[in-house]
Amino acid sequence: MAKKLKGDSFFLSANDLKTGSVVYYNGDDWSEKVDKAKKINRSEIEEYENIAKKFEDECIIISPLFVELNDDGTIKKLRDIIRKNGTTF
Amino acid sequence: MYQYSDKDKQIVKNRTREFLSQVKRRIDGNLTEEEFKPLRLMNGLYLQLHAYMLRVAIPYGELSHIQLNKLAEISEKYDKGYGHFTTRQNIQFNWPKLEDVPKILNELADVEMHAIQTSGNCIRNISCDHLAGINNEEVEDPRPWCEIIRKWSTFHPEFSYLPRKFKIAVIASEKDRAAMKVHDIGLKLIKKRNETGFEVYVGGGQGRSPFIAKKINNFVKKRDLLNYLEAILSIYNEMGRRDNIYKARIKILINELGEEKLKSLIESKFKKFADKNLLLEEDEIKKIKNYFKLPINNPIKSSIPVKKNKEYNIWLNQNVIKHKLAGYSIIMVSLKHYNQPPGDATAEQMKKLSIIAKQYSHGEIRVTHEQNLVLPHIKNSDLFSVWNKLSALKLATPNIGLITDTICCPGMDYCALATARSIPISQKISQHFKDQSIQDKIGNIKIKISGCINACGHHHVGNIGILGLDRNGEESYQISLGGSADEKTSIGKIVGPSFSEKELIKAIQTIIETFEKNKKNNEDFLSVFNRVGIDPFKKDLYDKSNP
Amino acid sequence: MTKVILNKNKVLKNEYFFVDNLTNLTKSNSENLIVTLSQWLDNKNTLSKKKNIGIKLNSDESLSLIKEEISFFKIIQFNFLTFKDGRPFSEAKKLRVELQYTGEVRASGYILPDQYIFLLRCGFNSVEIESEKKKFWLECLKMDTGLYYQP
Repeated sequence: MAKKLKGDSFFLSANDLKTGSVVYYNGDDWSEKVDKAKKINRSEIEEYENIAKKFEDECIIISPLFVELNDDGTIKKLRDIIRKNGTTF
Repeated sequence: MYQYSDKDKQIVKNRTREFLSQVKRRIDGNLTEEEFKPLRLMNGLYLQLHAYMLRVAIPYGELSHIQLNKLAEISEKYDKGYGHFTTRQNIQFNWPKLEDVPKILNELADVEMHAIQTSGNCIRNISCDHLAGINNEEVEDPRPWCEIIRKWSTFHPEFSYLPRKFKIAVIASEKDRAAMKVHDIGLKLIKKRNETGFEVYVGGGQGRSPFIAKKINNFVKKRDLLNYLEAILSIYNEMGRRDNIYKARIKILINELGEEKLKSLIESKFKKFADKNLLLEEDEIKKIKNYFKLPINNPIKSSIPVKKNKEYNIWLNQNVIKHKLAGYSIIMVSLKHYNQPPGDATAEQMKKLSIIAKQYSHGEIRVTHEQNLVLPHIKNSDLFSVWNKLSALKLATPNIGLITDTICCPGMDYCALATARSIPISQKISQHFKDQSIQDKIGNIKIKISGCINACGHHHVGNIGILGLDRNGEESYQISLGGSADEKTSIGKIVGPSFSEKELIKAIQTIIETFEKNKKNNEDFLSVFNRVGIDPFKKDLYDKSNP
Repeated sequence: MTKVILNKNKVLKNEYFFVDNLTNLTKSNSENLIVTLSQWLDNKNTLSKKKNIGIKLNSDESLSLIKEEISFFKIIQFNFLTFKDGRPFSEAKKLRVELQYTGEVRASGYILPDQYIFLLRCGFNSVEIESEKKKFWLECLKMDTGLYYQP
């Protein structure tokens, strides 16, 4: 899941297994609130991959991914912005 | 319309129970996501960007008013109050919760519906001509054959883990309204020396590498149809590639093996069980056909109300087709209102349309592969009343077959695979060409938009095809021209380098201007393109010395 | 993990041996043996003199190489490399319908209980599964109503 990642900081995101909702990792739990999301540095990627795996195995989340951030902490990619804000039309 | 037997009901109920147990095992950790995924897909459940998505089967695109009303209820109760009709005549709900899906399936089963095999590497819902049984051109009604194939392909023990998805379409006239030649198998009912049978086409498909299906048999007898299909699928299951997902469809197999080789393998397989299990007896066929008798039998004297209302007259001209029985008409219900995502219908629209269908169309509604709906049996004298009602629901946009009647996939607004958005593009096109006189002047044209190379929006077969790509993080749109999904199926040619989202509408405007410049008499877009070729379009789009 | 054989709803012990290297055969395991396709092809002469020999084909290996001699095998085992590989369903059907094979057809490897009914319907008699998973397999079997659209 860390393949092809660019940039230096990220959020860890996923979908909630039972509801499908977009959720973000806040350091100890998952929540729909992006403002509580924990900022992760590139050097910590592997550690957080393992954390994601743990929650996957516990059937809490599915489809974990790292959301790339700009230097100012905003979300970089359109796809991730749409995941956060909903449809654009 | 087809009605479930007790056996059908049991089978669907059982599937619902089975899925409930699979969901439970998944949540309890007794199925991994990798294991659950093919199982949920075979039941139409995807995971998209924001949520799960449930695709519900509408077999060969036919719905009763009761079913449509149920879809509306489901969209309100478990979703966000709308649904999306697809190019394979199904409907998708974009926001269901995993835990609710078994409940949704239960409610669907109550009205003889399900989500079986709407995704996954198995035989999908059978596509059909949305004017089946109500037009004058067909050899016979193809719907009973769709139903016969639906049964045979449902929970087929041998063909549920194929190399890749498998799509079948059935048509019954020279006119192809079901995009038959871009299906894995296309069947065309024909008559030869007083006997009806099937022309069989194999290996059509879109996606990354588009192919037009090739005719591998000139005449398969009706009684042999299922054995012949079984032979094709068996060879495909055995020999289709499993090493590369992009090369796994039967279109690749037929191109790698060669048409003749595949054909001879199928023929010899067929001969091995040609007289076995699946032979269709006349009385069996007749039994199924009985379900599809039209609810109206005789022509009647009924004339179309004459009104001075301009909008009504435009609509009559654009969205109403002759029924095969005199005195009746077919209404094309446009799901391409200018502000609506193509193919979307709200719960209110579905509910009220269900009432209209009950009152005026013998309770029947159909779904077209171009993402519109059909009211198939409307008495001529009712047309004005029905128009009034549809109008109030924004379901009477008079644009069937015109430039704003785009096919469009959900794109990056919903889809986890998409590389660019497609709905906003279709809305921009609608806004830009909104003026009725402009649309009329342009005439028949098909714009089809996909948000990624998988081509759910059929861009390869659009007269103008638009493919959304990701170019270094920016949405970018590649245009192809000259595609068509009708009886003269063709794959569009890429016109040149892609356009940014901002440049795209201007590019389409330029293409339309080039068309109009070259147009003779009443030629439509495709005729002009086929006559003048791609060069004038290229020149006008890219030649900067051109003012 | 202990493996058991499930034959419809009967839980059985595996009566067959499997050895990685045929030179390791002892007296006690020289019969009732399941061999791989390559073991068979390399040692056809010796093996065809033994009794109760079965063959194990991976899901990407075709029956075609042993088509002429299938009646010799007491058991033909299809080993699924992944449950998504559906080839053995067609192979089993071919064995039964086209080649009239009457011995045991067994599925092993990465298979899901949700495939059990399809396996049985395509001509498999038995599956080799992890003992602790048999509960799910039996549950899936119980869900079978016997109502099918195909013969």
